[in-house]
Amino acid sequence: MPQPRPPRSAVLPGLLSILAMLALWSLASQLTERPQTLPAPWEVLGRIGDLAASGELWFNSGMTLMRVASSFALAMAVGLVIGLVMGRSRRVDDWLNPGLIILLNIPALVVIVLCYIWIGLNETAAILAVALNKIPVVAVMIREGARALRPDLDEMARAFHMTTFNRLRHVVLPQLAPQIAGAARAGISLIWKIVLVVEFLGRSNGVGFKIHLLFSSFDVEGVLAWALAFVGVMLAIDLGILRPWERRANRWRQDAP
Amino acid sequence: MRLDLVEKRFGERRILGPMKLSASRGERIALLGPSGIGKSTLLRILTGLDRDFRGTREGDERLAPVFQEPVLLPWRNALANIVIPTGCAEAEARQWMERTGLTGHEGKFPRQMSLGQQRRLALARAFAAAPDILLMDEPFASLDAETAARMVALTDALLTRSGAGLVIVTHDPAEARALRARSLKLAGSPAQLQKD
Repeated sequence: MPQPRPPRSAVLPGLLSILAMLALWSLASQLTERPQTLPAPWEVLGRIGDLAASGELWFNSGMTLMRVASSFALAMAVGLVIGLVMGRSRRVDDWLNPGLIILLNIPALVVIVLCYIWIGLNETAAILAVALNKIPVVAVMIREGARALRPDLDEMARAFHMTTFNRLRHVVLPQLAPQIAGAARAGISLIWKIVLVVEFLGRSNGVGFKIHLLFSSFDVEGVLAWALAFVGVMLAIDLGILRPWERRANRWRQDAP
Repeated sequence: MRLDLVEKRFGERRILGPMKLSASRGERIALLGPSGIGKSTLLRILTGLDRDFRGTREGDERLAPVFQEPVLLPWRNALANIVIPTGCAEAEARQWMERTGLTGHEGKFPRQMSLGQQRRLALARAFAAAPDILLMDEPFASLDAETAARMVALTDALLTRSGAGLVIVTHDPAEARALRARSLKLAGSPAQLQKD
């Protein structure tokens, strides 16, 4: 069981490496001849401040976040069910595996374009396109966990006639917690990148849409401002929601009460 | 509960031969025999965990198993490990924990308990299911002699108190005597029951 490292050793190098990157960025921005291709960090920060003050940042980040959350929930729920069934039944696995491999290898862009064409340029198509890109990844991770479920606990549950719901909630899902956490962590970062592409191609608000507009005017400062602001939002979600949840879910692994 | 077994196979190998076995509330039976003879397989058939056999099994008694290992949910605390599988009330679960000497451990996770405590928790869980017949598979194996003796005495007391019947698989005739159980020996290949 990997023990959590003391915070100092983890935080300090991380902080230093970010500072080093900022220093490098500042230096490069001062050396370049055309400041508009690489604006300095403080200029980008000022732009983020302007966007926040005008309220534009909050509205568009909110729209993007809504899309991230919806497609994340959809992908996790569907991927969990598919992975669980595939992991438990050899026959289902044999039938669905080729489809899963094909889906895993279709480029995100193709799925997005097809969804927009078939469903229309609307929210449903956008969220579905993102979820479809993520479902096979979740399913594959959950399948591995479902294959390794403990048979003794399964027998115990059967012998005590536990209901299907109770079995799922208290016996199966806790065993899949590491895979679920892994899929969620890997999923959320993949999903927000795909959401941006979806917005870039066919939405009229959100961070991706904004970047689309700024791209037409080659506004690097604006692109960086939007991107960094949203990276900040995603980091906050990781630190504020995902990590505490993971810690809580792993309490039972500790030896001492 | 009545089992009328014709045979049980694992592939081509016949493990268990024809036998009749019945158990009821208040009755105590010990299945004895050397390891590998098929005692645990027979118990799994009785418990209803193995339905792949020729013969009939009938009866509507409430059964509760105690496995060789405690088989607890590691991610739920001790109290929840009784309440969730059995569906009994929390107050009742606390009572069973008290009767098995586990008061004060309600909030602990299985990993934080000793093996002896985990086994007592498994015993408390089985009794909390209010069984007519308790089915135990070598539940005192891998315990030191003193702990095992205490567990046997505890099991005996709780069986008397609840009036439940018992089918226990063991290789130790002394255990069967201590539990005042009628001994049935499994012997032969395929194994059949022989009165002791």
